[in-house]
Amino acid sequence: MSNNKLTVVDREGSTHDLEWEPDQTLMEALRDNGLPVLASCGGTASCATCHVFLEKEVFDTLGERSEDELELLAEAEGYRECGSRLSCQLGFSRDLNGVTVTLAPEE
Amino acid sequence: MREREAMAGTTAPVVIVGAGHSGVAVAAGLRARGWEGGILLLDAENEAPYERPPLSKDLLKDGAPDGSAVLRKEKFYQDKRIDRLAGSTAESINRKGQTVLLSDGSRHAYHRLVIATGSRARPLTVPGAGLAGVQSLRTRDDALELKRMLVPGARIAIIGAGYIGLEVAAAAAARGCEVTVLEFQDRVMSRVTSVPVSRHFERLHERHGVRFVFGAAVTAIEGGGRAERVVTADGEVFRADVVLAGIGVLPNQELAADAGLDCRDGILVDGDCRTSDSAIYATGDVTRFTSPVDGASQRLECIQNAVAQADKVAAHITGHEAADPEIPWFWTVQHGVRLQTAGVRHPEDEVIVRGDPLTGRFSVVYLRDGRLSAVDTIAGLADFRPARKLIAQSALIEPILAADPGIPLADAILKDLDPTDPDPTDAAPAAARI
Repeated sequence: MSNNKLTVVDREGSTHDLEWEPDQTLMEALRDNGLPVLASCGGTASCATCHVFLEKEVFDTLGERSEDELELLAEAEGYRECGSRLSCQLGFSRDLNGVTVTLAPEE
Repeated sequence: MREREAMAGTTAPVVIVGAGHSGVAVAAGLRARGWEGGILLLDAENEAPYERPPLSKDLLKDGAPDGSAVLRKEKFYQDKRIDRLAGSTAESINRKGQTVLLSDGSRHAYHRLVIATGSRARPLTVPGAGLAGVQSLRTRDDALELKRMLVPGARIAIIGAGYIGLEVAAAAAARGCEVTVLEFQDRVMSRVTSVPVSRHFERLHERHGVRFVFGAAVTAIEGGGRAERVVTADGEVFRADVVLAGIGVLPNQELAADAGLDCRDGILVDGDCRTSDSAIYATGDVTRFTSPVDGASQRLECIQNAVAQADKVAAHITGHEAADPEIPWFWTVQHGVRLQTAGVRHPEDEVIVRGDPLTGRFSVVYLRDGRLSAVDTIAGLADFRPARKLIAQSALIEPILAADPGIPLADAILKDLDPTDPDPTDAAPAAARI
């Protein structure tokens, strides 16, 4: 399987084009490409330091958020009901090729 | 090649001893913060550095794969020019010459040395502790060894009802083992949580068939070659095919202590994670430091601290400001129920139960001198992030409001009642009221 392309808007508003490899979660793709994603729980939906915004059209194609994910996001800075995700909970999918991901503000 | 050697002569690498969460985060953080020099990462284990939390949780489940997710892919180390020396440990430090001697006899110069040697399972010292079938859990190999022994019908005796003991109890019960937990204190997780949370998790385990014996002082493990029985001080004997010791950890401080660095149940570090030698840092489980929140001397065994301290080290070496550390936090999952804690509770803190434990989902709020010190959340994370913020602010809390789960925790703050409150936004109304 080939890589996905991703466009990432960082917290300063700069954009970065990067490759998302099939064995990575979105959080790992962000972190391993040097973006400032702390991911202090290692990807277990515990800490919400990998909070990102997706465009609504993309967000709507994804599955439901788990209760833990939703509770963490609901209290997060800048929470968007239709757009906020924990990037550690998003596995690789061809459907996400070419999407734009915006890093949520740090707390 | 000659040029590289010449370079190495003038600028030695940062040498990191230990490739757990903290050591790997130091290496990654140095590159993220623009360190251009060499990075030598000494990894005592052979395979790529991996996540530890799953070792006592998902990895033990029936049918789960035998691996644990890697912290970073192999390619990451290559791309970031991080030289990971697999299977190598540091034997000694020559502080004057700024070199470190490795187990393979090679000697390496360092520009800065980072000790991230972590902790090890505290060993059982009773007679019979060396018998086959007596296991501790710290590494992936430990976890795989334990997993092989957790067969249906096996009798497992777990010594210690802390996170590790209870996570293994849950995994073993789910695999059809007969589980007995022997605990010296009178309740589970007594070091980390309050009575209501202990009771809740005791009931949870008991519903899954786990048996607890409290006040149990283990005096011996007996058996002919293999563990067969655990004996306690009051003469009780428990049959066991497998014995797991989950009695805490010890800091791996010997390298530092032998080099004359200040240690006291952990390597002592300052606010920048420097040891008593300014060219040597220490980070993660192995360190002891003064809490910026309450001034307590502490050693924290958690990923949050391992990663936050790593950032401090990387920032300090590269001359940057470190990010504000998060409030320490911890989590455990037992029988699918998550206990997640923000902050570090003290035993004397006031305890406020928020919600009804019988619903299976509640929080416990801890106050020290009326200020929020820690929050346990059980089977729900709604209070977790507000808790971290309010703990960081040392918020004064109204206990009656905090006990009502219908009121957001952030709305349980006592405002404007402390005229000495230095927060200028509060000063005017406080003065007006007086």
